[in-house]
Amino acid sequence: MSTQEKLKVSRRQFMGMSGALVLGMYLPVGKLAAKAGVSAAGKVNAFLVIAPDNSITFYNPFIEMGQGTYTSIPTLVAEELDADLSAMQIAQAPHGDDYKIMFNNTVRFTGGSLSVRSSYETMRRAGATARAMLINAAAEKWQVKASDCKTEPGFVINQSTGDKLSYGELAPLAATQTVPEDLPLKESKDFRLIGKPVKRTDSLAKATGTANFGIDTQIDGMLVAVVKQSPVFGGKVKSFDAAAVKDMPGVKWVDPIPDGVAVIADNYWHALKAIQALPVSFDEGANAKFSSAAYLQSLQDNLDTAGVNVENKGDVATALKSAETKLTADYHVPFLAHATLEPMNCTALVTDNNCTVWAPNQGADFVAGTAAGITGLPLDAITVETPFLGGGFGRRFLMDFVAQAVTLAKAHKGIPIKVVWSREEDTQHDFYRPMTAARYRAGLDANGKPVALHVTNVGEGPMGRLNPEFLADPKIDTTVVEGVEKQPYEIANHKLDYVHMPLSPVPIGYWRSVAHSVNGFIKESFIDEMAHAAKKDPVAFRLSMLSNSPRFAAVLKKAAAMADWNPSVVEKNGVKHAMGVSLHESFGSLVAQVAEVSIENKKINVHKVWCVVDCGFAVNPAIVKMQMESALAFGLSAAMGEEITMEKGRVRQTNFHTYPILMGKDMPEVETEIINSGATMGGVGEIGTPPIASAVCNALFTLTGKRIRTLPLSKTDLNA
Amino acid sequence: MTQLMINGKAYDVDVEDDMPLLWVIRDVIGFTGTKFGCGMGLCGACSIHIDGNVARSCITPVAAAKGKNITTIEGLGTPDNPHPVQQAWAESDVPQCGYCQSGQIMAAASLLKENPKPNEDDIKNGMTNYCRCGTYLQIHAAVKKASDLIGDES
Ligand code: FES
Ligand code: FES
Repeated sequence: MSTQEKLKVSRRQFMGMSGALVLGMYLPVGKLAAKAGVSAAGKVNAFLVIAPDNSITFYNPFIEMGQGTYTSIPTLVAEELDADLSAMQIAQAPHGDDYKIMFNNTVRFTGGSLSVRSSYETMRRAGATARAMLINAAAEKWQVKASDCKTEPGFVINQSTGDKLSYGELAPLAATQTVPEDLPLKESKDFRLIGKPVKRTDSLAKATGTANFGIDTQIDGMLVAVVKQSPVFGGKVKSFDAAAVKDMPGVKWVDPIPDGVAVIADNYWHALKAIQALPVSFDEGANAKFSSAAYLQSLQDNLDTAGVNVENKGDVATALKSAETKLTADYHVPFLAHATLEPMNCTALVTDNNCTVWAPNQGADFVAGTAAGITGLPLDAITVETPFLGGGFGRRFLMDFVAQAVTLAKAHKGIPIKVVWSREEDTQHDFYRPMTAARYRAGLDANGKPVALHVTNVGEGPMGRLNPEFLADPKIDTTVVEGVEKQPYEIANHKLDYVHMPLSPVPIGYWRSVAHSVNGFIKESFIDEMAHAAKKDPVAFRLSMLSNSPRFAAVLKKAAAMADWNPSVVEKNGVKHAMGVSLHESFGSLVAQVAEVSIENKKINVHKVWCVVDCGFAVNPAIVKMQMESALAFGLSAAMGEEITMEKGRVRQTNFHTYPILMGKDMPEVETEIINSGATMGGVGEIGTPPIASAVCNALFTLTGKRIRTLPLSKTDLNA
Repeated sequence: MTQLMINGKAYDVDVEDDMPLLWVIRDVIGFTGTKFGCGMGLCGACSIHIDGNVARSCITPVAAAKGKNITTIEGLGTPDNPHPVQQAWAESDVPQCGYCQSGQIMAAASLLKENPKPNEDDIKNGMTNYCRCGTYLQIHAAVKKASDLIGDES
């Protein structure tokens, strides 16, 4: 995505904000526009508003779901604007074309670990532009050259007289300046904030209960709806008996929603009690026979199917035949739920001419589009309010819960309705990380050198299902093969095949790191199998295949050095400990992890994880480290105990007792180092997830001699 | 009518006795700092204090809190005047998404009241609330920091 477009002026008016410098970006985007706020008419989609009262408001096109975008993105602006980050107000930008700053200004969402790297230049340019206009305004006032002025956070200084004017004082005059083009950006040696562990902007609000989440939305006259969706995917409501619950406390209405029914009441508890009591029967439809076990069987039955060839180098068949040592292994991974701690929820208010939606979402335009589709209102009649998200992890791209709220609010115009899912609905109606199976076959020569690798991945990916327009080749679903594809390991003959196995009726979606979560586990476990078959140290074995990939080698070496890597079992206080290693590239960044693991009374303890990341350049190293911990906890949680299974077309797990997530006492110590290699900036929010499962399982192999080829570990008997 | 004492103020609410305190606090009275995560007493997002002891409000019927002092995150401290635990949390940038953190902080404040100088194991075993964002190490460090802050104050 290009961030190099020229900046261009346009003057529009900003609502009711007299004398403010309003810097917006508009289509064809990448262009900046400045506006002097004068009268009331018209709506300007601003990125940055500097008001005469010295307040600086930044409208963030990226949502905050924990990953730090309310800190890292405004940091980019504040750096070039020369403003204090703590003095800036961060607000969520509304929906609309003006904020579509990704992929050549076609789309805006928060995900794909793209926020910082996709806007690194655009945001800095916005800050630099505003600063130049403030300087030009000061120069005009003082009748000096712009080059005689400098800035310090929040002020322009007259270098010869020492006079200073605040940004707020200069805002009205700055708004009349020409928007400068081709401004130079700061050199990295002059960075004040970028590259530094700048403090988060949202900590105090989140520590005092004042941060507003979607589920906290409160509007006068608001009612609460609790839903019951068809337990079988794709089932329809046959009938329900509203009369049976209408006299229960607080109950107002019982309404149909897509694939389900909702009770609307004065509060959550009343709506929940009523929906639990509501007699409802479903037409389960054609999917009532689906089971995840049978689906797994169909995946496993196709591990030798030719499928679609994704990569083919050399002659794998011949090389495998003549290899001295051959090994084959089958792996599979289960369906997973996102389990955001804040359950799905959405509030909507529909009138004849307008619709407002308060929705935790990973794309305001998706919300607006959904609301427009249901209400028939034009997009500019839709307002989207995006509060903090209580976790996203890819779940809140999907708009099912938004559709429910808007559907109900449309049926009850003028009444704000908040849909809140129970944890059980949330667990049973997710868009799951798909189940995937793989067969790996490898050949080693007499010296243990890998000569051939043939991989077959069988499954269906979320991109092919949800966004086929993004697939470079419609037959190859990247979100099944990413992470096995384009590997750095030098193996003369290698081949990757993809077998498409449609998963209908199961809803599938993007789950933190998508298929990398699958392939990081499988590929790095199998590489470990190869190392052991070659009787080589797993770190040295990997390094022997990385002579042309110095960045990979560097992260791996550093992780091994930090961990004081030891491939053997070590006894500590009478308990056997072992280390496992893993190395994986995703979202343009490289991560190596070494995990130290022991087993005591059949319980797996992950004691410590050493983690090295090369994301090119870390804009906020503190946040990068936190994201490594967060993402590896997410991957470890899944590896340890998460699994969604389906029988008779329905999900069997309900709440955290059947879908257990990692608890604090099981969190390993984590030590993270960042390598600023200067390579193209990669993503950060997801990359810590893919390697952790294999690092742990590789350690478990050293410890027990048992190779783990499926997850979660909770169903593996390590003593067997 | 049931009278509840929340954050030092009396509220008269007209609710059934079995309604969980969580929903009275959030939906009837309107304090939204206390969160809903599971409704089964598993995750701790709904943690509050009843007479100074931590309780999971999603499984505490309102009847059980009559005549008792209820404290929510809003009553523990405010942005202008944070409780030492909140201060430690904010200074250490503990929260990521933040959704679990009200509950974590209420649990931590109660733990520190019982045991002002907890060791590492006391903290690991005493802090049982879930964090889907995996901020556990930061939570554990912040409990320690809060313990120091409280120690310095007294
Ligand atoms: S919501 Fe009360 S413990 Fe989870
Ligand atoms: S910070 Fe997100 S759940 Fe704990």
